[in-house]
Amino acid sequence: MTEGVIFDLGYHPHEGERLGRAGAVRALYRDGLRRVLGLRRRARSKVLPVLLLSIAVLPALFFVGIGVFTKQFDLEDVEFFTHAQYFGMTSAIAMIFTALAAGELLVPDRTFGTLAVYASRPLTFEDYLAGRAASLITVVFGFMYLPQLVLFFGRAWVSDQGFGSYVAGNLDTLWRTAAASAVYFVAFAPLAFAIAAYSRRASFAAGTFIGLMVISSPVSQALVEAGFKPSGLLSLQHHPGYVRDWIMGESTNRWIPERAGYGPVSSLIVILALTALTVFLVVRRYRRLT
Amino acid sequence: MADAIIATRDLRFAYGDIVALHDVSIDVPPGRAGLVGANGAGKTTLLKVLLGILRPQQGGAWLLGSPVSRATLDVRSRVGYMPESACLPPDQTAADFLIYAAELAGLPTRAARQRASDVLTLVGLHEERFRYMGGFSTGMAQRAKLAQAIVHDPDLVLLDEPTGGLDPEGREEMLALIGRLDSFGINAVISSHVLPDIERTCDWVIMLDGGRVLRAGPLTELSVTGEVTLEVLDDPAPVLAAISRRGVTAHIEGHMIVVEAQAAETNDSIRDALVEAGAALRRMGPRRTTLEDIFLAEESAALRPAATAKPNGKTPADEEQT
Repeated sequence: MTEGVIFDLGYHPHEGERLGRAGAVRALYRDGLRRVLGLRRRARSKVLPVLLLSIAVLPALFFVGIGVFTKQFDLEDVEFFTHAQYFGMTSAIAMIFTALAAGELLVPDRTFGTLAVYASRPLTFEDYLAGRAASLITVVFGFMYLPQLVLFFGRAWVSDQGFGSYVAGNLDTLWRTAAASAVYFVAFAPLAFAIAAYSRRASFAAGTFIGLMVISSPVSQALVEAGFKPSGLLSLQHHPGYVRDWIMGESTNRWIPERAGYGPVSSLIVILALTALTVFLVVRRYRRLT
Repeated sequence: MADAIIATRDLRFAYGDIVALHDVSIDVPPGRAGLVGANGAGKTTLLKVLLGILRPQQGGAWLLGSPVSRATLDVRSRVGYMPESACLPPDQTAADFLIYAAELAGLPTRAARQRASDVLTLVGLHEERFRYMGGFSTGMAQRAKLAQAIVHDPDLVLLDEPTGGLDPEGREEMLALIGRLDSFGINAVISSHVLPDIERTCDWVIMLDGGRVLRAGPLTELSVTGEVTLEVLDDPAPVLAAISRRGVTAHIEGHMIVVEAQAAETNDSIRDALVEAGAALRRMGPRRTTLEDIFLAEESAALRPAATAKPNGKTPADEEQT
């Protein structure tokens, strides 16, 4: 059965510029963003990212709404949560988002054989990983930072000091929340990326990452309570929160590493060491694949 | 080698203990070349070495005049590759994937859009360009794979089993498309174990068997047998006898007389034999063999000395496996 008709409209060779490797990496980056956010994909691909982002931003929007309401009726100032506490609310959702994003970025290219297309283009496997990692940095950092920005500028909007005065007086909050968002990215994304690099299914990769993060806390806590203090460093989920509180200058929780007697710098070192290990594992995996 | 689009010298590649390419040295001129061989002959490995995906343990390869090992990315920007296996993301439309494939080869976005649209039209997928590729039939998927291989306007395209899995009509369409690559200014290497496909589309052929080059050369030269066939209207036996009496070796195959054309006078001898036998000639011409015949003959010729060379009864291939 004929499935298409071949029209002879002539062939027009490309005689314009070629952007080479840099253009290829930019294309990879853009494709990664679209893939994670479900853009130019079926409607069902958009559901989860939009839902998770909505859940993350909703508290800030709620706060702004209440702020506008109380201002209108001349009620007292209401502060439901601080920026650090807001991180606490969004971090679990960010963890799920990161797990899904990492799987979506790496697994389909292998399972659908698209790596063969990349291998025939002017790209190295390092370029491929760099393009994909850049997409992950953008979406995960954005996922953590966007709600904080909504909260910050919402507060500025409803502030009695006026928008400009509030922003000028709290500029340090902007860089602190940016730094804390970066810490969450580094704590979550490389591990999720590494698991996705070794998984055959995106859902399995996401489940493994979330399971590992979630189970690390009770296991670590139990071992600490049993007297084995170094196991406090195994609490993967608590490290970014502990470092975040340190950056934000407040204490929102009694973190497991803290209970084990470690400072936030120790948590930061664990995060960075784990990042180095996962980068090594991902590079090794793709060096063998390509 | 100066004009060759592909040149290799003493190329050797092994997967662990299994040697996939043995000292492969070829020069392929511009045009359409066929890479033929049974499954496991080393065709895909050779293509991957040419693309710089696999690094040979010995020897070198040059594509379009550039050394693959030192100018891999430069070579890849001028080459397209259609893999044998699936390579299309099912959750992307054909148009989006083609634009992306062109951008990956370095084309600016606007040019990539234009090229994607043009190439999808050329391969007959214009109407299907906004369909998700997960719903494509095998024929459409093969055409989309070919489209991604040529979307960046390469100078050379490597096609690995382009007719694999296609029904007869899809195969015809694919072969017609491959036949048009020349007019686009795109040279092609077509890897296939379907020899009639190579005969139809290529003017040069490389035969691989067990990682070794059995033969490489123009298809017209390879298919010449040095024999002449003739068909007569009546019984061919008297004509055969008359030819044999003139010291020319001949035999009958079906209703045809096959004559070994060893000397320039063979045609004269045939003419005289026809006159002597009083036979009417229906047709006469040089005998051409099929690629399949050549391949089988070369394969068995290659096996004979290998099999007898080892007193322990093992062929070199057996020993490599162990």
